[in-house]
Amino acid sequence: MNTPLAWKNITHNKARTAIGVAGVGFAVILIFMQIGFKGAIKKTATQIYDALEFDLMLRSPAYLHLTEPRYFPRSRVYQAASLQEVEHARPFYLGLSEWQAPISHEIQATDKPADPDDPAGQWRSIITMGTEPYNPAFKRDDICKLTPKLSDPRFVLVDSESKPEYGPVSGTEFTAADIGVETSLGPERVSIVGLFRLGTGMASNGACLTSPEGYVRACPWQTLDEVNFGLLKLRNPNSAASVKRKLQQMFGIPEQVSNAESFKNHDAATLTNVDVEILTREEVNAHEEYRWVVDTPLGQIFQLGVYVALFVGVAIVYQVLSSDIANMMGEYATLKAMGYSNKYLTRVVLEQSILLAIVGYLPSLLVSTILYEVVEAESGMPMFMTWQIMLSVLLLAIGMCVASGLGALRKLYQADPADLF
Amino acid sequence: MPAQTTIPATSGAFVGDLQLPKTVKVHNLNHYFGEGELRKQALFNNNLEVRRGEIVIMTGPSGSGKTTLLTLIGTLRTAQEGSLKVLGNELQGCDRDLIVRVRRELGFIFQAHNLFESLTAYQNVNMAAELLGIDPSIAQGRIKSLLTRLGLGERIHYKPKSLSGGQKQRVAIARGLVHKPKLILADEPTAALDEQSGREVVTLFQELARDEGATIIMVTHDNRILDVADRIVNMVDGHIKSDVAVLEASVICDFLKDIPLFGQQTPTTLADIADQMLVHEAEPGEVIIRQGDPGDLFYLIRSGSVEVRIHDGKQERKVAELKEGQYFGEAALITDEPRNATIVTREKSIFYALGKEKFRAVLAASPTFEQELRQALFSRQ
Repeated sequence: MNTPLAWKNITHNKARTAIGVAGVGFAVILIFMQIGFKGAIKKTATQIYDALEFDLMLRSPAYLHLTEPRYFPRSRVYQAASLQEVEHARPFYLGLSEWQAPISHEIQATDKPADPDDPAGQWRSIITMGTEPYNPAFKRDDICKLTPKLSDPRFVLVDSESKPEYGPVSGTEFTAADIGVETSLGPERVSIVGLFRLGTGMASNGACLTSPEGYVRACPWQTLDEVNFGLLKLRNPNSAASVKRKLQQMFGIPEQVSNAESFKNHDAATLTNVDVEILTREEVNAHEEYRWVVDTPLGQIFQLGVYVALFVGVAIVYQVLSSDIANMMGEYATLKAMGYSNKYLTRVVLEQSILLAIVGYLPSLLVSTILYEVVEAESGMPMFMTWQIMLSVLLLAIGMCVASGLGALRKLYQADPADLF
Repeated sequence: MPAQTTIPATSGAFVGDLQLPKTVKVHNLNHYFGEGELRKQALFNNNLEVRRGEIVIMTGPSGSGKTTLLTLIGTLRTAQEGSLKVLGNELQGCDRDLIVRVRRELGFIFQAHNLFESLTAYQNVNMAAELLGIDPSIAQGRIKSLLTRLGLGERIHYKPKSLSGGQKQRVAIARGLVHKPKLILADEPTAALDEQSGREVVTLFQELARDEGATIIMVTHDNRILDVADRIVNMVDGHIKSDVAVLEASVICDFLKDIPLFGQQTPTTLADIADQMLVHEAEPGEVIIRQGDPGDLFYLIRSGSVEVRIHDGKQERKVAELKEGQYFGEAALITDEPRNATIVTREKSIFYALGKEKFRAVLAASPTFEQELRQALFSRQ
């Protein structure tokens, strides 16, 4: 069986194949985008955690998600620091505060002079983080180098990924020109002393970083003794599980509320008299993903989007492939009449489907990668084309084409060749 | 009385090499189209035997079921009722694997050529050669020589789009023959061809039948190629109306022509008579006719020999010996008197017998020469 029939069929009728490729490509792009959005949500959930240095995290059992972390007594962090396995134990503050855009571009657009003290400047909610300037909880050097600038509670560093609505001087993003600008954060005045690059995805449109003292100025409902996170760095990161057990004993946390599934079951934790829970990095990420992808409608929308894209894709590809096969039904029936087995015909059609899938996939990958960039630039959602996404979409595309091809072949299996000429 | 059969004399079932295997055996085959109330019978009790190496032409008006029977034999339809044996395999109720195996021994030439548009003439033909795993170098030679013989030597590497209807048809014929099938089924193979290529195709068929022992069944309306037929099967409304071995029919006609009674008859009448005769088989020493019995049949000796004995009241004596091509039993039919002699076979013999009614009808209805001529002229149109 040397004649590459599938390949000949694909290359013979270029117009028909082009339509097929376009159909497959459309479906593939649709799937890529939905998976990208879903990935962005996942990424959103863990983007800040990924920048923090910790092997174990202490947090309130009432923790909901990143921007609703609740708080717990700082003494728990110091208690944890007493274990010799713990290298660093750092409190970390994070909450939503209000930011007044120093320059309001809507106003500027009407040619009124910008007044940084204008109480009418737009207020935006902003993720505010507080960390020790000389012992920052970040693992990224570029951020750690900047934190010593936070020598005064009035100083803040601004995330350069923050949206223009936070009022950068340039009107599009925060640059060096914004350093020295004063504005209001919460009830107090602050001044921008530097920029760092983090990105918060869909959790918020902007972020700023200050010292713990700065944080309680911005979020006056919290005191320095009430921290949002306790980040423990261990001497041996692999010992996370055993250190976690030690800490649980130390804090008197019963076993049943500290298992890995506890995040799905907040009630159990709050019912017991425990003021802190301990999670490994994996548990933190799993919880956050679960929270954003499963618990919130946002994740479900895009999860559903993936299914819809798949469904639409199958519908398009089925139309294209089945009309392709219907056009050649006489020829396939002839092969069957000659004594070619159903197995051979199946192989030809599968090869043809897979070829179509691959040929349709490659340009779509390129287009999607560009679209990812565009979406990320436009919306700030962290869209990443990972090899896992590439592979899974390729498999989905092939699966789609194969299923459609086989569906179209059913007729050939069942009918007598004489009825198909 | 000898064993009387219902097999027509012209079927040729009792002459030639009886040991030759039957390529196709159709027995009491019925076929229906549609379901439920729309179910319509297309074939009625078809019986047909085709020997190895025979070339069979099936004719009949359109809608008479020729193509249906052809596609049933070719395994392209599923047999429903009755028995259908092709190359020794019973196809009625058999499994898919067997069908696939049988198909590989068949060469089918379809009315619709169904060539792969994406493949060249050569590659299209090669699809059949590849399937049987024919050595590529042998296959290459065979494909090229076939296509060249069919007048496509210049166009071996053309795609169907650049070929005319007749050329496509010839590529499809080459595809049906390249793997030297044991049974070739062709549906109007020469319909789209000019006289010369049509002749080349049937010559190819004859060579395959003679050299490879291939059996060929073709449906055709093309009377230019009737001369190659060993057997002509005529179908009307799903019934096999006649199934005539051409050679045998002409042998019978030759015998009949030499009989004074029939000497005046035209070939058409003789062929009609031949059609009416039934085969009788007899063992050595069997009495075919007994003196004094009422006469009801006229006998023609196809093979073997008989003794004529007359009993003159005292003893029976042998008066004559009759051999192949000779006849007996006519006197009692003409005169309506009892048999005037006894006939006993000397060896295993085959007779072709004609009933009294039919015998008389033929004599009474024998048209004049002029009438016959008018008929011939009329049907020539």
